[in-house]
Amino acid sequence: MLIDKEKCIGCDECHPYCPVGAIRAVAGEGRSEIDQVECVECGCCHERSGVCPVDAIYMPKLEWPRCLREYFSNPNVKHPSTTGHGRGTEEMKTNDVTGRFTHGVVGVGIEMGRPGVGTSVRDMETVAMAIARLGVEFESQNPVAELIADTKTGKFDERVLNERFLSAILELKIPLAKLRDVLDAIREVAGKIDTAFSLDLISRVQPDGSTPALAIAREAGFAPRPNAKTNVGLGRPLFEEA
Amino acid sequence: MTHTLHRQGTVENLKEDYVLLLRTSRWVNHEGSERKMQQIWEVISHYEQDIVNFGNHYPNWGGGKLYDMEALKKAKSRIIHVVFKDREKLQACLKEIKESEFGISAVVSALCSETQKICSEIGLSPHTVNYSLGIHGKTDRVPEGEVLEIHTMCGHAMASSHLIDHMVAEIRKGKITCEAAAGKLAGMCDCGIFNTYRAEKLLRKMTSPHP
Repeated sequence: MLIDKEKCIGCDECHPYCPVGAIRAVAGEGRSEIDQVECVECGCCHERSGVCPVDAIYMPKLEWPRCLREYFSNPNVKHPSTTGHGRGTEEMKTNDVTGRFTHGVVGVGIEMGRPGVGTSVRDMETVAMAIARLGVEFESQNPVAELIADTKTGKFDERVLNERFLSAILELKIPLAKLRDVLDAIREVAGKIDTAFSLDLISRVQPDGSTPALAIAREAGFAPRPNAKTNVGLGRPLFEEA
Repeated sequence: MTHTLHRQGTVENLKEDYVLLLRTSRWVNHEGSERKMQQIWEVISHYEQDIVNFGNHYPNWGGGKLYDMEALKKAKSRIIHVVFKDREKLQACLKEIKESEFGISAVVSALCSETQKICSEIGLSPHTVNYSLGIHGKTDRVPEGEVLEIHTMCGHAMASSHLIDHMVAEIRKGKITCEAAAGKLAGMCDCGIFNTYRAEKLLRKMTSPHP
């Protein structure tokens, strides 16, 4: 995103709309500018808020890899790789009909940059490499998949490492037996990055109402929040597990 | 995406925050679902006076004063979001949807204890759960307190923490009401999952001279 310096009147109204604090006043010039290193192209200062009283804020044509910032940060823009909005997949929302997560298989989502901090792709690579060595499967339908050059090592395409997103999800599907190792690796790598992340754990519910994955998470030192998302099983045709 | 997960708050104030999400699967039952999704909006419209916010995947840039329910009953929706502040109202709505047997996947995002009550009272068995295992990494960069609670109402982070701080300052100066500020923040959220009612209460608490 850019600000037309001829049009900008320096009212500063747009500053608070930026989630990553990338809009600043230019000292002595009575105008604002957007830090192009920090800007994640989310569109909050532009069409979403319509905050600029003189229409000085505009979106230039974004070339690859810069356009990736918009794909990941603006939920109203479709990812060309998935043709869907948003950062993720259907994950557990439709699990009653897709059977993506069966008994004994869990999902882990590492939501890099969330809440509201933003992430560099370099930090995403650091986390991906820490868990890839455990032989995990990265979700191929997640738009992050196209950025990973080598799924065995978690190494990303070098050309995208300097990009920044408001958030992006490293999404995994793993056997329950591997969950403890993955959570331990996540805990260890958390201290090596310059951003925060929110952590998701997806599990099928057992017939008795329990979820064994939750006990493993607690043993690994993670405290689940009291609120969660629950698929209540209304989808049809219901996926039948073998 | 997991945009309704990770909502922060105390157990007490999360008792006023329930998101019902319905969506088709592009791989299984999206084809031919258009009419069913419109019928689901029809059911939801029976609860319009109890709904805090709602929307589908189209943007809500009109200032956060809710979408046009009549338009949604005729729209092509692959996803439906509805926010309630009362468990009983969500429960009644979900019961009606269940009894209509639309066959569209439904997700309740709320306190686990409240979701369990909903399921047991209307005869549903939780199928799959997405738990929030918290925030990790460089947590000193994450906003705190009520700002974080309001910010996480939009999982895509469109309601910037700086904007929340700005609204608090404007309320204190008497330039905007808590209700209008909550509406402005809700307007940043495309999906209609921002809990305007809860945000207004939090803004009132943050700006009260006698907290």
